[in-house]
Amino acid sequence: MITFNIRQWRAWAPGLESAADWQGWSTDARLPAQGDLAPDVSFLPALQRRRLSRLARMAFSVGWPLAEGLGDLPLVFVSRHGETPRTFDILSDLAAEQPLSPTQFSLSVHNAVIGMWSIMRGETSEMTALAAAGDGFEQGLLEAATLLHEGAPAVLLIISEEQPPAAYRPTIDDVPFPYALGLLLEPGNNWQLALGESHAAAEPAAHPHALNWLRHLLLGHTSFHHTWNQRTWNWQRH
Amino acid sequence: MSDPQHSLNHDIKQLIIEALGLEDISAQDIDDEQTLFGEGLGLDSVDALELGLAIQKRFGIKIDADAKDTRNHFTSVASLAAFVTAKQAA
Repeated sequence: MITFNIRQWRAWAPGLESAADWQGWSTDARLPAQGDLAPDVSFLPALQRRRLSRLARMAFSVGWPLAEGLGDLPLVFVSRHGETPRTFDILSDLAAEQPLSPTQFSLSVHNAVIGMWSIMRGETSEMTALAAAGDGFEQGLLEAATLLHEGAPAVLLIISEEQPPAAYRPTIDDVPFPYALGLLLEPGNNWQLALGESHAAAEPAAHPHALNWLRHLLLGHTSFHHTWNQRTWNWQRH
Repeated sequence: MSDPQHSLNHDIKQLIIEALGLEDISAQDIDDEQTLFGEGLGLDSVDALELGLAIQKRFGIKIDADAKDTRNHFTSVASLAAFVTAKQAA
C-alpha cells in the first residue's frame, strides 16, 4: 500500500482546461471536442516550443503551472502510447525510402518529453518516463511514491496521451481524445492506494482511466477501484 | 527582385523557416549575413541536421556531413547560397 497527498492538479483535453471546465465535465460527462486543438504553451519562448508535439504541449501545459516556483522537483512522466504521430511519420518516410527527419527521430523516443522539460527548466532532478498498460496511472503513482519515500518533498506526475493516427486505431482503443493530467504529490496519508488481485474483466469505459479517476476526485468519492489485467487498484481517500 | 542571388537567398530563408518550424519570424527578419547557429538566429545542432536534409531535398545536392568545410557553408544564408550555387554548377 502507498500513501500520498495531492497538493494540486491540472488537466487538459480539447475544450476542457480550467478547474470549472472539469467540474462541469465531472457531472455531465460529455466527450471533449474532436479536432486539432492544442493547449497554449506561450509561456515558453518561441524557439523552444516550436518543436513540441501536442503530446509534449499537453504535458507542459498541465505540468508547468504545478511546478511554478518549485526547484529540484522529480518528475514521473507516463504515456502508454507515446508519440504515435511522429512514429507514423517516420515509418511512412521509411516505407517511401525517404531520409528520416532528425527532429522527428530525436523527439520520437519515449523520454523526449522529460528531456525537453529538463532543458527548458534547468531541472536536474530524477525523471522517469513510463509506458505501462491500462493501469499506467497507478504504476506512475507507485513510482512517484517511491521517490517521496526516498525523501523528495514533492513529486510531479504527468500523464499525457495523444490520439493515434488512423492507422493505429484498430489496435489502440483507449485514447478517444487527446488528454493530459498532472498531479503535484507530497508525502502524506490523505490518499491510499493498494493493489489486489482480481479475476474480473476490466469494465469498458467511455473516458480514459486517468480522467475517470479525476471524476472520482471531483465528485468527492472516498472509495473506488480500478481493474486492469487481473490487477485491482483499491483507492481510499481520507 | 529578379536578381537570382537575391531570389536564392530568399528561398533559403523560406526553407529555414519551414523546415525548422520558425513560425513566428518571416524571411525579412533573417539577414543574409546573420549567424544562423549558436549566436544570431540561435539554431542548434538538431536544426543543422534538419536544415542539411531540407537543403539536399530542395536543391537536389549532396552534402558530406564529415567534410571539414561543411560547417563554414552553414554559417549564414549568404554562405549557404554560395554553397548551393557552387554545388549545382558542379
